[in-house]
Amino acid sequence: MDNATDLTRNPKQPRAYSFKQLLPWLIPVGLIIIWQIAGSLGWISTKLLPTPWSVIQDGVSLWQSGELQKNMGISLYRALVGFAIGGSVGFFFGMLNGLSKTARALFDSTIQMLRNIPHLSLIPVVIILFGIGETAKISLVTVGVMFPIYINTFHGITSVDPELIEMGRAYGLSKREMLTKIVFPGALPTILVGVRYALGVMWTTLIVAETISSTSGIGYMATNAQEFMNMKTVLLCIVIYALLGKVSDLIAKLLEDICLDWQAERSR
Amino acid sequence: MAEPLLTLERIGKVYGDKTALHDVNFSIYPGEFIALVGMSGGGKSTILRLIAQLEQPTSGQIKYADPDMVTRVMFQNDRLLPWMTNVQNLSFKSSDKAQQARAKAMLETVGLQDFPDSYPSSLSGGQKQRLALGRALMADPQLLLLDEPLGALDALTRRKMQDSITEICQQQHLTTLLITHDVEEAARMADRVIVVKDGTNVYEADGAKGQDAATIGTVSEDVLNVILNTPQEV
Repeated sequence: MDNATDLTRNPKQPRAYSFKQLLPWLIPVGLIIIWQIAGSLGWISTKLLPTPWSVIQDGVSLWQSGELQKNMGISLYRALVGFAIGGSVGFFFGMLNGLSKTARALFDSTIQMLRNIPHLSLIPVVIILFGIGETAKISLVTVGVMFPIYINTFHGITSVDPELIEMGRAYGLSKREMLTKIVFPGALPTILVGVRYALGVMWTTLIVAETISSTSGIGYMATNAQEFMNMKTVLLCIVIYALLGKVSDLIAKLLEDICLDWQAERSR
Repeated sequence: MAEPLLTLERIGKVYGDKTALHDVNFSIYPGEFIALVGMSGGGKSTILRLIAQLEQPTSGQIKYADPDMVTRVMFQNDRLLPWMTNVQNLSFKSSDKAQQARAKAMLETVGLQDFPDSYPSSLSGGQKQRLALGRALMADPQLLLLDEPLGALDALTRRKMQDSITEICQQQHLTTLLITHDVEEAARMADRVIVVKDGTNVYEADGAKGQDAATIGTVSEDVLNVILNTPQEV
């Protein structure tokens, strides 16, 4: 079946291929074009919904004034520091509880209980404790990122094929070798799923935190623009969120491709 | 006869309220190829796991001539590490240069010299088992334990693997214990066939390794009769 369709399609294949590549862009690009036309022709109020072109212009002028870079830099800093701290803590406890039954008995039920608290509900607590400084934002990101990494690390470690572990034992691996050669690589795919998910949580948390209480960052830029009814900048911020999210996802994907190249061969 | 490599003395193994083994007695001598045959659930694999020291017997003891004896198990499923290349799977315990070179040579021994750097997932079932055999041989084991290693292969591949395992074991003068439920396989590959039934070794026959089809047939028939007919021991 496959061969037959391949044969008939072969002469046209390059074109069919590029069309397939373009397909995912059709809807977003189409919508933007319609939006631009509707705005330019005055079908919709550009006060309420500025055209894509004017949003781009706004971005350029904010870039020239340096405000955009400054706020993006600050947001990125908060995101990364929070991710590094939360990710490390989550990874540490995930490994610990995955490897040691005693640690699991001691920590896991507490962690599961805390995990079910929506971390954004901690915003009032964090503001009271830390005000609206950096600590507040970073600690929220930390809490948000910690649990997905914890759960996936823990799950990854505990679901490594016991037959491989037995093989390692029968072949005389030391505990350390067992960890580095069997348990960790076996858990890595699941851990990376956690990283990918946590990157999403990282941005969402940061944006909400910055929107509610901040004097800098992309979230602040949006709230501030809202006060001045500056819809262009609000839209610009939303576009930046989307781009940052996409970039994080690409980085996570890249990480998976590098660390899990052995899986690529399987699906080939 | 030479000193046995190991001797099982009145071995018993109980899991909860189930008796897997009771009163297993036999010795393994250097250089011989033994096959343990019997029906599924008869306790063959438990014997192997005890010899490999993956588990401890509930009663009786296993006397090893050399307490530090190196044993290697080849399992029914290959248990290769999917994140390591084929050659890395052979040298997975240490990555020093000597070991790397040995791994390359071993790939040749098991006929996989053309695929050093691909991953096990791209190998066929028979090739995976060859690689697993190579991995077991990397440590120069004094005793090689084969736990139904060919059970999952198709008949043709299986037959080819039987021949190459026999050949490799002979070349390297390996002492080998094969667990199988295939009576003909046992007769074809082994010097000595031991029948395990209801948790104990009930019968022993000379194998027909390297002999003609008729002899293999006779031995198989003989062993099969024992497995199917011997009344249960009291």
